[in-house]
Amino acid sequence: MTEAENPAISINGISKIFPLPFRKGKGLLAVDNVSIRLEPGEIYGLIGPNGSGKSTTMKILLGLVTPTHGTSTIFGKASHAVESKHEVGFLPENPYFYKHLTGAETLRFYGRLCGLSHTQIRERTEELLDLVELQGARDRRLGGYSKGMLQRIGLAQALIHRPKLLVLDEPTAGVDPVGSRQIRDLILKLSEEGITVFLCSHLLEQVQEICHRVGIIFRGKLVREGTLEELISVEDQTEIILRNASPHLLDQLRSLVASEQTETIRIGKPRTTLERLFLDHAASDRRQNEEKSLS
Amino acid sequence: MEAHASTGNTYHALSPARIWVLATSTLTQLVRMKVFYFLIIFIALLFGAGFLFISLSFEQELKLLKDIAFGAMSLFSLIFAIVGTAILIPKDVEDRTLYTILSKPVPRREYLAGKLLGVLLLVGISLLAMDVIFTAILYLRQNIILTNQLGILDAKEIATPENIENVTAIIKNQGVRWELQAAVFSIFLKAAVLASICMLLSTFATSTMFTIIVGFAIFFIGHGQSLAREYFLQGTFSSPVEKLITVFLAILFPDLQLFNLTDGVVSGEPVPIELLLKITAIAALYLVIYNVVAILIFSEKEL
Repeated sequence: MTEAENPAISINGISKIFPLPFRKGKGLLAVDNVSIRLEPGEIYGLIGPNGSGKSTTMKILLGLVTPTHGTSTIFGKASHAVESKHEVGFLPENPYFYKHLTGAETLRFYGRLCGLSHTQIRERTEELLDLVELQGARDRRLGGYSKGMLQRIGLAQALIHRPKLLVLDEPTAGVDPVGSRQIRDLILKLSEEGITVFLCSHLLEQVQEICHRVGIIFRGKLVREGTLEELISVEDQTEIILRNASPHLLDQLRSLVASEQTETIRIGKPRTTLERLFLDHAASDRRQNEEKSLS
Repeated sequence: MEAHASTGNTYHALSPARIWVLATSTLTQLVRMKVFYFLIIFIALLFGAGFLFISLSFEQELKLLKDIAFGAMSLFSLIFAIVGTAILIPKDVEDRTLYTILSKPVPRREYLAGKLLGVLLLVGISLLAMDVIFTAILYLRQNIILTNQLGILDAKEIATPENIENVTAIIKNQGVRWELQAAVFSIFLKAAVLASICMLLSTFATSTMFTIIVGFAIFFIGHGQSLAREYFLQGTFSSPVEKLITVFLAILFPDLQLFNLTDGVVSGEPVPIELLLKITAIAALYLVIYNVVAILIFSEKEL
């Protein structure tokens, strides 16, 4: 398989069991047989409640945690191999970085770690500070940055070596709506430039707005996965959207829609929201647990 | 391609450039914690020792000045080596900076090497600064004493060439000599060994406090280790089990007494170059052993 044909991410049946201290043979199953595949250029959102295994999956993908079973690759290279890190940029949840460095120094530091030349670092620093709109704060120490600014400089450091894959853990956590919108727009812009994005978020509305495909993870298991269209379509219902419908027509709607002189805009599946779908799964999961504990 | 067993187990040549980036960043990180304020305490101590105890004999006065200087250098370098190293990895994990670094093309062993080198740079620079201050004050004090003593000889009308030569030789023997630098270097070597032990401890320790406490405990055990070894191996209790325990202790804990050149130097004893080379080689061996073990543990660590 050539590099161009390799998926951006290939997670194959990974499981992770964390051993519990003083309980030999027993462990905590954090991720249970999860498989995810991302094609280059996609934006994929992994959603799930706290402790569902999102971060562990992400850490396995980045080679920070070893899976108990399964494999994980980035553009065909094993996740734990240093070579795969050339292709990936990572922004952790609520990053702090080195507070004594300024914004420009932070980018220089990460650029040097990536082995970029002085000229490349200088050019890239300017480009990225422009991109994340932090030119005005380039010489200010990170200790004085707001949460939104920290997230944006975090995004810039993740992009310093021009990675083909961006992994974002809660990229808008704790950021105000304006900052959140800026980050969302940045992600879309990067996607337009061909960068593959894999993100975890609690902000379902945002995930719905920007992700091409979504996976829902509960108790370590990937319970649903698909395109937004697939996930939020309600299969047993039909929705008819009408324009210029008269009150009279509305009265007779149930029986006469097709025979009236009305322009039919769209006939298809009505949509729920990603948030509704998520909450339904959470409720169903809770019910199952209650039933289990009763039995 | 997809063989996947453990994190960080693909080996590449070391990149000195990346290690240096991490080391200088670590040094800056530690310096920004305002650690160099200790120099004010050091200067105050030396001025106190150099100019307040003037009722002592000139030999005692110079010995006391050296004693206090080496004591302070040992103490500060010990604190920097143990505390400085102990806080680095937990802080990077807490701030998630470690994740951003290790998700870049940085092998874990380079991260550890960079952090350790950063601490050693801090210890080295601070010892160098203390050494310069100490040498200047000792030189100043040595010249004042020499002038005073020659004045006394003149006043007593016993300033014969022999007496002058004798007094000058005694004062110079207690004054600025190259052996002082050898003693400072031995302090650095001891601090380097302790820093590498703390780096090893912090790869599996669950708290900074644990690393600091165990680090200081190893410091004390390391100084008593040679005494214990002599007791077991040469005493009446040298059974195979006791010998085994001693050998185990010798491997587990470094013999820090080996690096103690300061007592001899304070008394004006010479330092053979062979001894200096020997302790440098021993320190290097300890550093390699502790670092290899630290890298092996850290490579498999779940972050």
